[in-house]
Formats: sequence, C-alpha cells, structure tokens
Amino acid sequence: MLQPTPPVPQPLENMGQAIPRYEATAKVTGQPLYAADEPIARPLYAFFKTSGVARGTIASLDVRKAEAMPGVMKVYTHRNAPPRKAVKHIMTGGYMSDTNIPLADNRVRHDGDIVAMVVADSYEIARDAANRIEVRYAAQAPAATFGSPGAVKKVPEQAQKNAKKAGDFAAGWSRAPVKVDARYSTPTQHHNPIELYATTAVWNGDQLTFYEPSQFVYSTANGLAEQIGVDPAKVHLVNPYVGGGFGGKGILTQRTALVALAARDLGRPVKLVLHRKQAYGLTTYRAETRQRVRLGADRNGKLVAFAHDGEEVTSRADDYMVGGVENTVEMYACPNIATSVTLVKADRNTPGFMRSPPETPYMFGLESAMDELAVALNMDPVELRRINDTQKSPISGAPYTSRSLMQCYDQAAAAFGWSRRNPRPLSMSQGDWLIGWGCATATYPTNMMASTARIRLTADGKAVVEVAAHDMGQGAYTAMQQIAAKRLGLDPRQVTVRMGDSALPPGPVAGGSMTTASAGSAVHTAAGKIAARFGGAMPAPNDLDDAFRRLGVTQIEEYAEWWPPGQGPQAVRALYKGSMGGGGGEEGEQQEGNAGGGKPMMAAFGAEFVEVRIHRLTREIRVPRMTGAFAAGHIVNPRTARSQYLGGMIWGMASALLEATEVDAKRARYVNDNIAEYLVAVNADVPQVDVILVPEVDTKVNPLGVKGIGELANVGTAAAIANAVYHATGKRIRDLPITMDKLLV
Amino acid sequence: METPKISRRGLLGASPVVAVSAKAASAQTPEAAAPALPDAPVRRRVVLKVNGESRELDLDTRTTLLDALREHLHLAGTKKGCDQGQCGACTVHLDGERVLSCLTLAAQAEGREVVTIEGLARGGKLHPMQQAFIDNDAFQCGYCTPGQIMSAVACVQEGHARTDHEIREYMSGNLCRCAAYPNIVAAINQAKSQMGRA
Repeated sequence: MLQPTPPVPQPLENMGQAIPRYEATAKVTGQPLYAADEPIARPLYAFFKTSGVARGTIASLDVRKAEAMPGVMKVYTHRNAPPRKAVKHIMTGGYMSDTNIPLADNRVRHDGDIVAMVVADSYEIARDAANRIEVRYAAQAPAATFGSPGAVKKVPEQAQKNAKKAGDFAAGWSRAPVKVDARYSTPTQHHNPIELYATTAVWNGDQLTFYEPSQFVYSTANGLAEQIGVDPAKVHLVNPYVGGGFGGKGILTQRTALVALAARDLGRPVKLVLHRKQAYGLTTYRAETRQRVRLGADRNGKLVAFAHDGEEVTSRADDYMVGGVENTVEMYACPNIATSVTLVKADRNTPGFMRSPPETPYMFGLESAMDELAVALNMDPVELRRINDTQKSPISGAPYTSRSLMQCYDQAAAAFGWSRRNPRPLSMSQGDWLIGWGCATATYPTNMMASTARIRLTADGKAVVEVAAHDMGQGAYTAMQQIAAKRLGLDPRQVTVRMGDSALPPGPVAGGSMTTASAGSAVHTAAGKIAARFGGAMPAPNDLDDAFRRLGVTQIEEYAEWWPPGQGPQAVRALYKGSMGGGGGEEGEQQEGNAGGGKPMMAAFGAEFVEVRIHRLTREIRVPRMTGAFAAGHIVNPRTARSQYLGGMIWGMASALLEATEVDAKRARYVNDNIAEYLVAVNADVPQVDVILVPEVDTKVNPLGVKGIGELANVGTAAAIANAVYHATGKRIRDLPITMDKLLV
Repeated sequence: METPKISRRGLLGASPVVAVSAKAASAQTPEAAAPALPDAPVRRRVVLKVNGESRELDLDTRTTLLDALREHLHLAGTKKGCDQGQCGACTVHLDGERVLSCLTLAAQAEGREVVTIEGLARGGKLHPMQQAFIDNDAFQCGYCTPGQIMSAVACVQEGHARTDHEIREYMSGNLCRCAAYPNIVAAINQAKSQMGRA
C-alpha cells in the first residue's frame, strides 16, 4: 500500500523552499482580522429580509412591527431605499456580479432577493425585527432551470465570437469508425466558504472605509464608488485576510452599497453578516450545465472529430457565460473540431466564477467521454491520452510553452499501481465492496494580468513588500515573501508583506489562478529595480549596511509595474480602476491566457487516479485513495503548492459525489441552502490523498516561470471518479453528483 | 460542577416580560394565537470567565456565546461560519469540553471556564496542537482553524485520537472548505504524543 505524501515535500528540480506559511503563527492563535472581525466602535447591525418567492411583485409590505421595536433605527424597503447607480456586470466592462438592483422597485427577481433591510443597535434586534416584517407577494410562476416553462434560450454574442473550430467536424464525424456521442450534466454548486459574506461600512466625513471579504479590492472599491456616486479616492477597502473565496468573493455584490449608504444615512458604522442561507441568493454560484460530447476516432484511437456543445443557466439580468468548450478543444490533437454554447435564462440570481469555472464542468464531460472512447476501442485510457497528446494547439497550431501531461500520467500511474488494473468492469472486488479504478486529465490555463508592487529595503536588511493582491489560503503572502527574498538575497523572515488593502499599489484579482504569476512578477521586477541601485547584484545581507552608506541613503523604495506580454501600460491604468477586462493588448484583453491567434499556449497539466469502493448491496460509494501528479512550471513553495493540490482533489471528489444545490423545479428556490444539507467533504470522507509534484521548467510563460495551480487539481477529479465508478459497476453515470440512488436504478 | 441548564426557548418563555407583552399582542391582533415574541429585548447581566479573566456584560438574553465573544469582548478569533451548528468554526472549550458557541447562549456559560483560541497558548509558547498545525500546513485560509484546533485539542483529551480513522470521525464536525483534512489528521497525530495522553 502507498504511503501518503508527507505534509512537507522535499523540493525537487525548479522548486523553491518549503517554508511554513508567512501568516502561520497568526492563524493558529486567532490573530488575523477577517472582514467581520474588525473591532468597530458602536456599530449598528443590518439584517436582510429576503424574498420567499422567486418571481413576482410585492403586494403588501408591513414594517410597523419591526419599526416599533426598541433599538431599530430604520427599515429600508423599496419605498425608501437610497438610490444607487446602475453599474454594468463585470463581464461587460462594469463591476457587478449581478445587475439586479434590490429595493429599487417592488419586483422580486429571484429566490432570496432582498425585500427589506433592518438596521438596529444590536444583531439580535435586527434579526428579530427582520423576521417581523410581513410581506405578501403577487407571485408569478418562475422559470427555474433547463426545460422550465418560460426559460429563454440565447446564444450570446461572446459565444459566437469565441467559438473555436478546426477543419470540418461533420466530415470527420461521418468518417470516424469509432464514435462516442454522449450527454452529460453538472449541477448548481455554491462556494460555501466558511467565512460568511460580510460588510462593515464606516464613514469619516466624506471618506468611506469598508471591510468585506474581497478577492479583488481595487475592483470592489471602485465599483462601490461608482454605485454610490463617490470619488474612488475616498473609498478604502481593508481586507488583509479572506476566509476562503473560491470565486465567490471576487466580484462586488449589491449588498455592499446598501450597507454603505445606510451607514451614511444613519451617521453610524453599519455591520452586516449575511446568514449562510442568504448567501445562496445574494452571491454567485456555479451554473448548472448540460453538455453533448461527440468524439470520433480511428481504430488506433487517434481522434478525428470532436464536438463539444454546452447549455448553461444564467439569470434574466445578465448573460454570464461559463465558456468551457473553449478550453476542452485545446486538450488533444484532433483535426476536426466544433463547439457551441447556449445560455438558458431563468428567474435566478446571476451565476459566476467558482473554482476553475469553465474547466470543472466541461472537463467532466470531455474526460468522461474519453473514458467511454477507451472502452469502445478496448484501449487503456492512459494510452488513449498518450496517442492524442499534443504539444500544440489543435485550433491555432501555436505551441505550448511547456506541457508535461504524459509525465504526470506516468508518475501518477506508477505511484497508484495502475498496471495491476484489470480493465474489465466488475472484475475487482473485496468482500462486499466492488472496486473501481479510474483516471482523468487535469488542466488549467496560465492566466496573467497586470500588477504593480512596491518594495522598501532598509539598511538593516529588512524589506516591506506591498501589493493589493489577496491571500484566501493559496499561500500568496508566502509566495510574495519568497520571491522578494530570493531576488534581494534576504532570509525570507526579514521580509514583511502587506496585501488586501485598496490603499496599496494595485494587484490582480485572486482569480484565474494568476496571483503568483502576476503579482509575483511585479514583486520580482520591483526587487530587480532595487538590485539595480546596487549595480545589479545584491550585496550579501551582512554587507548591506556598508552598501547603503556608500549610496548615501538609509533606505530604498521602488515601485514597479508589470504586464503580461502583448499588453501595455494601459493594462496598469485599467488595473487602477479595478477593471478586469481592460488590459488591452492590440486584440483587447484575453482572460484565458491560452486564447488562439498564434499566441503561445500556456497551461498547467495534471493526471489524477482514484479508487472507488461501492457496496454491492447498498451502493454506498467511498473513495479510499486518490493520486494526483501535477506539472506547473516553477513551484515557489512545495509545501503550499501541495496543499493547493490536496485541497483541490478533495474539492473535485466532493463535486463528483456530494455537492449540488437542489433547485425546486416549480418554485425556482434553493432547497438545501445551508451547509448541513449542501454536502461538502468532511474529514471522514477523505482517507488518503497522494500528491506528486512533477518538475517542469518553463522559461517562456513569465519572468518567474510559474503557472497557476490553485484551480488545477479540482479539474478532472470528477471524471476520474465517474470513470472508476464505471469500472467498479459497469454503470456509466453521466449526471453529477454520483449518488447511491443513481447506482441502484 | 453544577450548572443550570438553560435553553434559548426556555429563557424566552420564563421571562415575565414575555408574558405581559404576549397578552398585549393578543389584544391587538386577533390572529396572534401563536406564542408572541417580546417586543423589547430582555437584558441580563452576565459574568463570563474567558481565558481565565472575568468579564461582566449586559446582554440581550438571546446573545449567543459566539456573539458575546466576538461583538462584546472583541475576541474575534472564534469564528462565525454558519450560526446554526453546522460548521464547527465557532468551537470553544466550556469547562474543558468542546462546544459550539453559536448554539450556546452566553448566559449558559456563566460560572464556567470558557477557553478560546486566544487563550490556548501559555506564556508566549504555542500549544503543541498550534505548533503541529503549522508544521503540517493544516490550514489554508485559516478561517476554520481556531475551531479545528479547539476541537482537535478536545479530541485528543477525550481519547478519540487513537487511530487516523478515529480522528477523521471525531473531527468531522469541523468543516474545512479548503480541505486541509489529511494535514489536520497529521497535525493531531503529531500533537497527541506531546500532549501526554492520546
């Protein structure tokens, strides 16, 4: 039996030191201030009353009982809510996660829409009063999801513009001797970070300071300023620690302006902590998808045709698009490729980014279909990937800067013991347990955006690094510390890092797995400018004092701006405005770093192997072990990188077996809107996870040679599990999550 | 130690203020057959002994131990992750046992020893469990970590950390969305021998 990887791996080739997290001691002693932890003098507390229907109008709203409660300062409804400016959605050049403005009129547009906000002098009274508000609705039948009456299909312009194709799919498909044509579905999922969504607003004259969990402080602060009509220079967001984000805290929601304006109106700080239930309707989520995958191959397993068609749910208000078919078609060599995406607009809040937004659902489809193709060909699924592996884009022909997919497969397969697998379904069992082994590919594009950074080095050999990037657990503080220390020739312990504050020089969104590549490159550049002051090579720490004397200064401060190849200073100007889409190379900003057009392909890869055990009678599903091997260029810190992969694979396991937000088909309401009935993985679900860091050198992606890893490992896990379930039972489950009932049918 | 057993519901029902306002409410609204809520909060002086220090508070009787710690004593190390007993982030020790502070009224903690994450390290030295969490990278975002550590210390003291399987089972009330679970198990294994009894 395999031994688990020790928690702290030894650095291999092209890997940095596995030092403990920068903020480790603070985090084990309860010191970090997350958004709702900030001590505020005499705050008022806000609590929302949210809608009990998904579509309709408010017929009557009686707030008298709430207003009569001692301690209630004000009840805001659509009749008296302060106006807010309509700001565009983040994907159309604005800032918002959802452009539906609550309390702007008497309409209810989705389950959990805000119908009133109570502000009181204690949390207990605010919540009590909110529950005493009496609302009657003139409800209309809502469209919940795919196939609901009233749901409207739409092919967004963006999907048509970005559609990728190669050769002639129809011709290739008609000629293919071996075919898989299958339909898959993935469910609605909510991020459910353990830190709740909170906002505290404090006005000092016309200056606003606010505290809320944010994966992009510049965007959140600028967006709020625009919404409430305040000079962005007077809006300050403080958030040094994010208690888990996973995409849910990336984009400004509508709650923030309500809290900020109430604080101004009432002349006191106002604090809001959304109840977990309320987060389901008032933040974003992973949209459910339906997919059709067609794979055609010759008798040797070479792909000759691949079509990936997706349907995704979104809100009436916004055309949020998941867009994963753009990535799946880059996976394997294939001459004939076609894609399409269709949105289905329903009476829902707007979905958004959730850890590997496009890859998680769409790689489940592709990698399940690859397994089905391997079965149809009677071929080992690892060999099928090897035959179709490519070092260039099948769409544009551009080469990958590096791609170590098969090295990952070979190392993971060896560690897992794949060669002992009997490929026949139902062939491996132990007592009452059917055993299945499956594998799948993980991938994530190397995204980057502009970043700035400032470093101050003092003669005593201490450095302070400042960048408004974000650490939500990825290890970003530690990565910035190590990158600066390495370039400055310092012991990392001499480096202080400040992040998560809109008063610092701007950094990238903590999304798209691009913090280390982007903010790290800016930190590296700023450190290089300091080194240049000493003639390019940093003096040894012991010689620093003398070197400073020779320069005639006591400290050096350098500010640097960095942008990815193909972009320019306008990308930094956009960054200062908190714009995610304004990078602007000659072809405009590209969120996904591997967009075509002959530009080099940049992506990290991995291979994941899982064992499932399924009880012969009850169909209980357990995952006793998982092995993943990943290659992502330079690894700044193997300790934190391993933890990212470990957590990612467990996320993937949960997405395959546990996680689904159930949407009431008739009422369009979230049924299991809490963290007991929305199942996330618990400790008992996770026996053994084996992580292998595959060394990879990439000199082209960026100055540091790093690729993004935070959203790599949860991609592919779901397919690996579904493939293992097929191997164990002979039953192919194409609709996630895979639950006992689906195996009992 | 003898402690009065008080529930949230019982506390509201037992208050004379409740009875008065319930009558008043039923006089005004004919449909108020359901038990009416008090219109004004019932306040109570509560003395809490937290991390060895006695603190006197004037609280709405519905104030949970969690909110008393966070909002009134500014001990924000104890986290609110769900406010309904589902996530474990608010775990503290009450007379040495792990409890969910979101499901415990502050008044219930009177006369009992409350220990939070801020009180675990002694004399500037980390508790072995805190050091083990660092050594094994047993957290990422750190938000569930205070609850995990308080739960882990109790888990060892209860004698529920004898095997990996047992640790996983007895730590499953503490959710970690970053999913550092295998590292948490490793940390508990490291700390349990140093804590003297496993």
